[in-house]
Amino acid sequence: MDILGYLLDAMTPFNLMLALVGVILGTIIGALPGLSATMAVAVLVPFTFTMDPAGGLIALGAIYTGAIYGGAYAAILVNTPGTPSAIATTFDGFPMAKRGDGGLAISLATLASVAGGIVGALALLMLAPPLARVALAFGPTEYFWLAMFGLTLIAALSVGNTVKGLIGACIGLFLSMVGVAVVGGDVRYTMDMQRFLAGVDLTSAIIGLYCVPVILDLVASPDPHLSPSATGGLRVMEGARHALSRWGNLLRSSVIGTVIGILPGAGGSIAGLVSYSEARRTAKRPETFGKGNPDGVIATEAANNATVGGGFIPTLVLGIPGTPPDAIIMGALLVQGIKIGPTLFTTDGNVVYTFIWGLLIATLLMLPVGLLIGRYAYGFIIKVPKTLLAPTVALLTIIGAFAIHSNVADAQLMVGLGVIAWVLNRYGFQPSPIVLGLVLGSIAEQGFVQTYLIGNATGRLPEMFFSRPISIGIIIAALVTLLFPIWADWKAKRRAQMSEPVADEGTTIAPEIKTRDLPSIGFAVAFIALGAVIWTGASGMSMLGSVFPKTIGAALAVFSGLLVIQHLRRPAAEPKPRQRDAGAIRRIALGAVMLAWVFVMPLVGFLVTSFAAFAAIMLIADYDRPPLRRWLIWGLTGLLICSGFWWLMANVLLLRMPAGLLF
Amino acid sequence: MRTILTTAFAALVAASGALAEGFPDKAMTYIIPFNAGGESDVSARYQQSEWEAVTGQQVVIQYQPGAGGAQAWSQLNSLPGDGYTVMGINMPHTVLQPLAGSVGYKTEDLTPVHYFHYTPNAIFVTKDSEYQTLADLLDYAKANPGMVTFAGSGSNSANNLAAVQLNAAADVITTYVPFSGTGPSITAILGGQTTAGFNYATSGVAQGDALRMLAVAAEERMPAFPDVPTFKELGFDIVGGAYRGVAVPASASEETRQAVSDIVSKINAQPGFVEKMESGGFVLTDIGYDKMDAFVAERVEEYTAGAKALGIIK
Repeated sequence: MDILGYLLDAMTPFNLMLALVGVILGTIIGALPGLSATMAVAVLVPFTFTMDPAGGLIALGAIYTGAIYGGAYAAILVNTPGTPSAIATTFDGFPMAKRGDGGLAISLATLASVAGGIVGALALLMLAPPLARVALAFGPTEYFWLAMFGLTLIAALSVGNTVKGLIGACIGLFLSMVGVAVVGGDVRYTMDMQRFLAGVDLTSAIIGLYCVPVILDLVASPDPHLSPSATGGLRVMEGARHALSRWGNLLRSSVIGTVIGILPGAGGSIAGLVSYSEARRTAKRPETFGKGNPDGVIATEAANNATVGGGFIPTLVLGIPGTPPDAIIMGALLVQGIKIGPTLFTTDGNVVYTFIWGLLIATLLMLPVGLLIGRYAYGFIIKVPKTLLAPTVALLTIIGAFAIHSNVADAQLMVGLGVIAWVLNRYGFQPSPIVLGLVLGSIAEQGFVQTYLIGNATGRLPEMFFSRPISIGIIIAALVTLLFPIWADWKAKRRAQMSEPVADEGTTIAPEIKTRDLPSIGFAVAFIALGAVIWTGASGMSMLGSVFPKTIGAALAVFSGLLVIQHLRRPAAEPKPRQRDAGAIRRIALGAVMLAWVFVMPLVGFLVTSFAAFAAIMLIADYDRPPLRRWLIWGLTGLLICSGFWWLMANVLLLRMPAGLLF
Repeated sequence: MRTILTTAFAALVAASGALAEGFPDKAMTYIIPFNAGGESDVSARYQQSEWEAVTGQQVVIQYQPGAGGAQAWSQLNSLPGDGYTVMGINMPHTVLQPLAGSVGYKTEDLTPVHYFHYTPNAIFVTKDSEYQTLADLLDYAKANPGMVTFAGSGSNSANNLAAVQLNAAADVITTYVPFSGTGPSITAILGGQTTAGFNYATSGVAQGDALRMLAVAAEERMPAFPDVPTFKELGFDIVGGAYRGVAVPASASEETRQAVSDIVSKINAQPGFVEKMESGGFVLTDIGYDKMDAFVAERVEEYTAGAKALGIIK
């Protein structure tokens, strides 16, 4: 076997070192929300020009796979996906960490990521040319239905609260339409503001929607951020036993991840969501998902790391990159004079196979590296006092949102969306359906319009939508996912009628009070108005550009109307004595500081505002009133953290930092 | 006295000349207004590998995608004009976008200093397609109005413009289906989702035998595809594609503009660069800063007519 021979080429000390350094760097970058693999890979490409091609590729591939894995840390520990691929990791990872199982969650994420990464890389090694055909079999129709399938997850994520989930999805879909449309070319819903031209950035939106509410809750009470764990540590052996007993889940999720990775433009976030959805559907007790079920973490993390190997398949075989990091790595190959395409595996087999082995080695290295970094990250989050944790996480959200495009507007949008998300969440509109809508919106829209154009031109519109074999498969899967929770709900109710109700342990989503809720009605009325605005705003657009906005505007109004009716039919609630929320003042102060931070930053400068805001948040988050000496130490730490990140961004990632009047 | 003045003046000129020669004395930043992996990125990466040899300094490539490039272009003039930050610039994008709507910049706000290549539009079908020549395809389109679907990159783009031009020139009705980039549209053609594709000639190299190129919108046959006829040969006056260049912020001085233009020109003459670009299906152009005004004016005229055909302007 020639292929095995290349394994030795990949195992030179230099290549091993590149893989190790790449994985470490990637994991850290992935763990910081907003700093992405794309960014790191783009900066490092020139260094590979002078390197041996395989070595350079191994370094880039190791960073990429490490970053996809690293995204899990932030998802588990602070409820913020470090990369969009880790969106579904937050669903169960954070509840696990909350109740003291954060170490276990990290172990499981590590093991699942390694397993998924291996499956993806093996598929790349052995089956790349035939699997590349999967990418070609997926036409616009299949992308459309895949997005619809992803949206059905809302039904599962918002059981008992479906109407609000659907409204959230419509809001997310609306946000995905902002900016210049790919199909039709219309400039939509930008309110003539330049900042909205490129649309709502997914990464800054998920940082805002998921992380800002966490910080707001963090300062609102003196309780620790995560429950202290009974044993400390990562509980690796327990994790390994659990992961092994779920080998079916691991394998299924890895295969889903590999296949979705092959589809250009779908990516790790959709792979994670789909395999999460499948894991939930096949579970014995699906109602525990979203409340800290370890299988949710396993499914997502196995799938998203499998997309790395999967994504290289169309990149190397067809020259069609699956994800932005793939695209940059493809560019690096082209500069090296290596012709991408079907013949690559024979003409430049030495480079390609050495690279794939290197990717496999890097994936295996994630196990020790991840467990080591995970141990420190978990220990840090548990031990660090709130007074330092809150401002550090706040700083990271702002850095992350800014770093994506070196643009303060993204950070402003992030904070704004975050505050809105917290308010909405308080009234039962959860952030996940909004994120789902935002992730899937453009894929759904493009798929729909393209299918419509092709179907209409060839006069077989219904066939295009409903009679393509792969589409039918996806539609069936979507229907099952959609109807399954309803059926499970019905079954659970029957069971409950027969036996005594069982207390639900560790519930994070409060069961909805089935009485009339005036704020909900108020929000619904506002959303009906928004729906009307979306509809009328679409009237000036081209035919292609207006189909989707009109549909979404109408759907938003209908669902909101349903919500109003639902609430009017319920009995009026007993007037509750007004409770004063002790944390409210701190929350409001924090929200104000973060808003001031992002709006003053371009005027005064990044460092000055960060120092000031860091100090302010320390005061807001403090409950212990420590002695002056400790304040000094904390202050100094804050100074170091702010300057350190500034240095990293300005000098390593070469971002243009807002300088303003001062610095 | 006069001689002293003259000498002083000459020295001054020499000094400022030396200043220009000292440029660049640190790494430069090259912003690509698109995602990685497209033609803009690949050609910039080719330039990057020659940059240090030509200027003695490295160049860092950054991506600022969004709104089909408009996001980055609308911010170009807020960047420092010292010449160390340059940005990729594209035609017809920077003409058609401001015509189509309010995108935060106007064509004349931008300062391109060098357009270094273009990628001609070309029609592709899969290797198994029943259409062997452009005539085959057009015959079918004539007999079945609207039935022929072209996958292309984006709405109001070079590909879209070419499809509209072909409709007018050949008096046929075809359906243009916009995709979110060259990659997805090539995927659609390879997968047989559309009849054919209007893409850039570069895809012909990337896909090798998997695709058949029926015609190319270049002035003359391309070295990489000696067997592919031009539209002109076939009787359709369609020449065009996407032009790519380098722009600087408007605050850049005349010397800086010229200096950046010279760097790009020099890279364009490097044999290694020429070889990579031509075999990759790019057509090199050498439109430096001195020829820029005339070039832009000519393109604006052409694309304004195109915008009418696309229905962007009445």
